[in-house]
Amino acid sequence: MTSKRIQFVFLAIMLTIPLSAFSQDKLTGYQVIENVYNRPTGTEMKANLTMTLINSRGDERVREIKQYTKDFGKVEKKIMFFIKPADVRNTSFMNWSYDDPNKDDDQWIYLPALKKVKRISSDSKNDNFMGSDFTYDDLGDRKPQDDTHKILREEELNGEPCYVIESIPKDKDYMYSRTVTWIVKDKWVGLKKEFYDEDGEYLKTLKIIEYKKIKGFWIIIKTEMHNVQKNHTTKMDLSNIVIDGGIKNSMFTERMMRRGLK
Amino acid sequence: MRLTPLKRIVLSLILAFFVSGVQAQPNSLTGYARNYIGVLLQGDHEYSIIQNTLNLNVEQSKDKVAFKVNPYIYQYPNENMEIGLREAYLDMYFNSVDLRIGKQQIIWGKADGVFITDIVSPKDLSEFLLRDFDEIRMGVTGVKANYYIGDNTFEIVWLPEFTPTIMPPEGSIWRPKYSFPMQPVFDHSREKVTPSLENSEFFAKYSVLTSRVDFELMAGYAFNDDPTMHVVKTMNPATHRLTGLTVYPEHHRLTIGGGSFSTTLGPFVVRGEGAYYNGKYFNSTDPKLPESVVEKNYLHYLVGLDYTLWDIHLSSQFIQQAILDYDPMIEKDEYDNMGTFLASRNFLNETLNLQLFVYYGFNNNDALVRPKVTYDLADGFELLLGANIFTGSAGWFGQYDNNDMVYTKIKYSF
Repeated sequence: MTSKRIQFVFLAIMLTIPLSAFSQDKLTGYQVIENVYNRPTGTEMKANLTMTLINSRGDERVREIKQYTKDFGKVEKKIMFFIKPADVRNTSFMNWSYDDPNKDDDQWIYLPALKKVKRISSDSKNDNFMGSDFTYDDLGDRKPQDDTHKILREEELNGEPCYVIESIPKDKDYMYSRTVTWIVKDKWVGLKKEFYDEDGEYLKTLKIIEYKKIKGFWIIIKTEMHNVQKNHTTKMDLSNIVIDGGIKNSMFTERMMRRGLK
Repeated sequence: MRLTPLKRIVLSLILAFFVSGVQAQPNSLTGYARNYIGVLLQGDHEYSIIQNTLNLNVEQSKDKVAFKVNPYIYQYPNENMEIGLREAYLDMYFNSVDLRIGKQQIIWGKADGVFITDIVSPKDLSEFLLRDFDEIRMGVTGVKANYYIGDNTFEIVWLPEFTPTIMPPEGSIWRPKYSFPMQPVFDHSREKVTPSLENSEFFAKYSVLTSRVDFELMAGYAFNDDPTMHVVKTMNPATHRLTGLTVYPEHHRLTIGGGSFSTTLGPFVVRGEGAYYNGKYFNSTDPKLPESVVEKNYLHYLVGLDYTLWDIHLSSQFIQQAILDYDPMIEKDEYDNMGTFLASRNFLNETLNLQLFVYYGFNNNDALVRPKVTYDLADGFELLLGANIFTGSAGWFGQYDNNDMVYTKIKYSF
């Protein structure tokens, strides 16, 4: 091969590789996770959430929630109204999550039988959310600085190129000893996540079944969490999603927790 | 079975929603059906209760208005049904103001299972404190207005007519034991508070949720829900011996001011609540008092701590009542100390719950211990097995030492 021909082939290869690949090649595990954390998802979101809990015998239980989220800059506020099952109807839950890494979330729950809004500690993030296979922490945005991240490899999953990131919590008492996440390059969407318990045993897997672009943002629509130790599965589906549709600030108040969705 | 006109109306309302010709469909019809059986552990193991319950919540709303009606039926074998409306109100929503008019439960404060600033809705103590809390708290007819500025809420309540605590009927195992030197005659002629504008009750509250602390400040101009027992003694002038006792239950005006807070300290939720009661009456042995009662101000307060350890939700409270300017002849102790303890844990993806709740009275070393197991057989279908164990021989709980019981509740929510 002549030197001119070599130069042409090199140029052709260069042109077919997106420029971003160069910058991505240099990414650290932390940066990949930071990109996922900072992926824009809109300032506001309104959606219906349906959780289907499936036990080892195949019995199903269904929970329905209506949720509203709004980013106020330094604080993101979320309010959830429980619709089903009947015995939790009219219960509501509100969470204020702060950008300040040293500030814990504020959480309140309204219990209609007691007619009281109670402040609860966000420290119980290990608790399962409504009996599902998701803990409260699984549903929140875990801050990148809470873990040490390492790129294990790059591979395709469901036909999409992914980084495979291992994350080890800095807090040794955290409920997981490590997690492994498959993150789609460029989109910064986690496609799959494996969780290992405190003893290092494989605990559960989260799979993203469907995600799509809404108003220019990648939004996760359907997920499935399978706990292999309990042989229990939770399917989570979002529907009636409205991004940046205009949610009043007054939605995230004690008034609305008590009033509910009328 | 004979029904009063009110009961007929309520029963008709309930039936109307079950027989399909309902004209105006509610946009929410929820409720529950429940069977509740309790057996006493002492003696011949008599049933303390056999009760079937139907509780309905009928709600309808449009943009700025809503209504709710909550009829209920308690049915007891071979006895009359108890039928009533726990709540029946209209809501009006404005930009910064909500108005609620009608019969409503109004619950204030941060305490669990203890009533300090939570004095708007009176209590139904037909079964002591054993009913679920939404069944203990009675609806009161009145007007409630809430004004909102951000996370701040100003609330005022006007109750045109006073509603007293419902006490267990004569013959009930939950009837409080009074310590009179001889069998008294009860004269209820002074007990009723005549409905009038002057006898209205007024309450006000300011509350706020912040990222650091939630707190409430409240005030009330009300009547004491529990009657004071005025005792008139009849003496034999020759022997100076007691020949008769007449007890006049009477509700007195109270002025109350107080507040409560709740905050997080690391993994703990710390709660506090306190109130100052002006105009409360206490029974006294002072022979100079013509009706054996004396007026004293008093304080009632608590501190509480909630914590989760090994997936067990723990909560404890210390409560104190202090009579100010105490006179040793007052029958009640100057300081009355009580504690509560709760431990609760879920299993099997929250289908199984184990719970223990304890009230403990320090003054009389008495307690009410309430263990229970709840299992969700299916969504909304709940099986409950529990016990109520009273310990001690005197005091608020010890007086029921012979009422230890086990019970089951089967509840279907829809």
